[in-house]
Amino acid sequence: MDRRTVLKGLAGASGLALTGGLSAPAIAQGSAARTLRFVPQANLANFDPIWGTQYVVRNAAALVWDTLYGVDSSLTPQRQMVESEEVTDDGMTWTFKLRSGLKFHDGEPVLSKDVVASLNRWAARDPMGLMLKAIQQELTAVDDRTFKWVLKQPFPKMLYALAKNNSPCAFIMPERIAQTDPFKQISDYVGSGPMKFVTGEWVPGAKAVFEKFADYAPRQEKASWLAGGKQILIDRIEWVIMPDPATAAAALQNGEIDWWENPIADLVPVLKKNKNINVDIGDPLGNIGSFRMNFLYPPFNDVRARRAVLMAMSQEDYMRALVGDDDSLWKPLPSFFTPDTPLYTEMGGEILKGKRDLDAAKKLLAESGYSGQPVTCLVAQDQPITKAMGDVTADLLKKLGMNVDFVATDWGTVGARRALKTPPGQGGWNMFHTWHAGADCINPAPYTAIRANGDKAWFGWPTSAGTEKEVTSWFDAKNLDEEKAAIGRLNKAAMDDVVYAPTGFFLSYTAWRKNVSGVTKGPLPFFWGVSKTA
Amino acid sequence: MLSYILRRIVATLPVMAIVALFVFSLLYIAPGDPAVVIAGDQASPEDVERIRQGLGLDRPFLIQFGSWVWRLMHGDLGTSIFTNLPVSTLIGQRLGPTLSLMAIALLLTIVVAVPLGVVAAWKAGSFIDRAIMGFAVFGFSLPVFVVGYVLAYVFALQLEWLPVQGYTPLNQGFWPWLQNLILPSIALGCVYIALVARITRVAMLEVLQQDYIRTAKAKGLGQGGILFIHALKNAAVPIVTVIGIGIALLVGGAVVTESVFAIPGLGRLTIDAILRRDYPVIQGIVLLFSFVYVLVNLMIDVTYTLVDPRIRY
Repeated sequence: MDRRTVLKGLAGASGLALTGGLSAPAIAQGSAARTLRFVPQANLANFDPIWGTQYVVRNAAALVWDTLYGVDSSLTPQRQMVESEEVTDDGMTWTFKLRSGLKFHDGEPVLSKDVVASLNRWAARDPMGLMLKAIQQELTAVDDRTFKWVLKQPFPKMLYALAKNNSPCAFIMPERIAQTDPFKQISDYVGSGPMKFVTGEWVPGAKAVFEKFADYAPRQEKASWLAGGKQILIDRIEWVIMPDPATAAAALQNGEIDWWENPIADLVPVLKKNKNINVDIGDPLGNIGSFRMNFLYPPFNDVRARRAVLMAMSQEDYMRALVGDDDSLWKPLPSFFTPDTPLYTEMGGEILKGKRDLDAAKKLLAESGYSGQPVTCLVAQDQPITKAMGDVTADLLKKLGMNVDFVATDWGTVGARRALKTPPGQGGWNMFHTWHAGADCINPAPYTAIRANGDKAWFGWPTSAGTEKEVTSWFDAKNLDEEKAAIGRLNKAAMDDVVYAPTGFFLSYTAWRKNVSGVTKGPLPFFWGVSKTA
Repeated sequence: MLSYILRRIVATLPVMAIVALFVFSLLYIAPGDPAVVIAGDQASPEDVERIRQGLGLDRPFLIQFGSWVWRLMHGDLGTSIFTNLPVSTLIGQRLGPTLSLMAIALLLTIVVAVPLGVVAAWKAGSFIDRAIMGFAVFGFSLPVFVVGYVLAYVFALQLEWLPVQGYTPLNQGFWPWLQNLILPSIALGCVYIALVARITRVAMLEVLQQDYIRTAKAKGLGQGGILFIHALKNAAVPIVTVIGIGIALLVGGAVVTESVFAIPGLGRLTIDAILRRDYPVIQGIVLLFSFVYVLVNLMIDVTYTLVDPRIRY
């Protein structure tokens, strides 16, 4: 009997018991209706959204710091702290004006100098920010509410850069905080967003508390993701960190918590049976599973070996290992881009479609010159996603006749070892598994994993001139049609060169009690518009 | 006695120093890199390197160790790499829940296990003895998390008597504090109760064969007086030893128990720190635990003199 079996059995039994709608215990009824208790996807171990780029930090930061622009549910940038913007005809000078009445949590007004300092810090860490910085002539405050960004060449994706929800977001902080070295952590959490961070109640690894900021001036439009009126309808949000999913499931059923961001697939059937709980897809942009092959060493320095793996792999095997039998939670993905987003394309994805041809794959692998050398495959066992995918890959490689050196380790070790460029037998590696948030795979701007510029590329250091050429084409595109064409060509080039192996697209659920309303689908949990009754 | 205690306390210093060096060396050679975790999945190697430099992790081993020891000598356990909070603050935040959990589990053990062991010895070979020892085997065999889930299912979800998870500080009321700790303490104490009950039984069986017990019976003493005054006191040395050693078991079990019941204690802090390679926190906690072990051993030695006046230091 293993831990997961016990967990499922007990959670299942408790779910059946509670389907009858037993009332919440005294401890739960004692909580104020104005307090929302939320279990986030991970521990909020630090709270600097520029220094630490984990999604959980970004999600919490979105409550505390506002942005100049925000993407809405159609992934379009909308004004947020900005009232208006002007760009010169040559596209090189942007002038922005802030809305009036914006305040920080310490009561000080939000001024252009704060924005300039914040953008400088963000630009030192963000991929799009770095691109802007590279072509920047000057970024200056014109007056208290106006600032100007002068570039050496046009940057059509300016508003998207300032609005994007990918980490790090361009959050606006007071100048004194934003002047902190971007590679050092801030310790002052005065924000510009709709909720204040209650530093005194923060117990990293256990609890984080946010309180409504009374002086926040929301926009008048309807809220949509990071855009629009961020109306806060509750006084206090408590993030309760629960490392054990069974405990979180029981606490949600018991009414001790109100919203669980990421219930694991095993426990969702139990939650769905409970009449007091809503369960729905949380983030429609989902995730893309992947494994990366090291371009520096045999066998995967030969494109034929990489293609052989792609020809033989079954995305269904990977996805079923991840999400089980729930077909609503996954899709095959003959692409590197997030399905159902404007730039999605399957151009060049034929190699991942149709019946798998193991014999042809073996033949191609032999042509690549593979002669039985060990293939070092790093698999983090403490991450359910990588563990499940790693097991499938090991089986796949064995079927291909490869000699698998399966390195079962933890995520921290994979994170360090994948950065090593030494040969596999000397501490290096041939493959490792990971996954990418779908929100990061909607276009090349935040999509580090698609870059194929050799030494400068992400781990595995892929080289694909065609891919890089089309990344540039996308940045230069003037309209959606040009963008789509560039992405189509990019997808084909990346697929031909096998920049990495996409193992499929998968979604996850979110669950909340029925006395909570206003929960919306999105790439992060949005708390504006969420209310709760006793 | 006082000089003995002082000598023992002084003797802890080299032990702590060896532990400190050992832990620091182990962490230095262990795979993994906090800078990688901090930088995030999309970071470039240059970003990671800059963060590593910012944290001082690129410096030579001896300089890092020397700097850590120097701070330690000034009472500074350092600052968490991830939270940017002092390690002493993080430990302080987590000490209350863990101490509460361990104290109640320990109390529960003494109150339940010792009488069970005494009764089992008294009724040796009977159904009662076999039932108690059967329970002990059961208690040993069940992992803490299984006991925890079963207790939560029955008493929190089914009967709704107690909460599933969480911790309320004692200053917010005795009952709110206690109700969060009842189930975790039982789960944590189960193995410990089984262990102490078995040891108590064995120690008592030996003592109950002694001549002075027969004499006590012959002069008409009541069963309770014989068992709990004459026999138990003479069987106490091995029992106290096991209770002391068992505190190590409690620390290990607390890690799992705190996760199952979402108690923000030192166990969870330890696991989080290890997974993230938050070196200053790991070092601080290990030092604390090693100090506690040394202290517990000292307390056991002192307790021997109380239960057996023949023992002198």
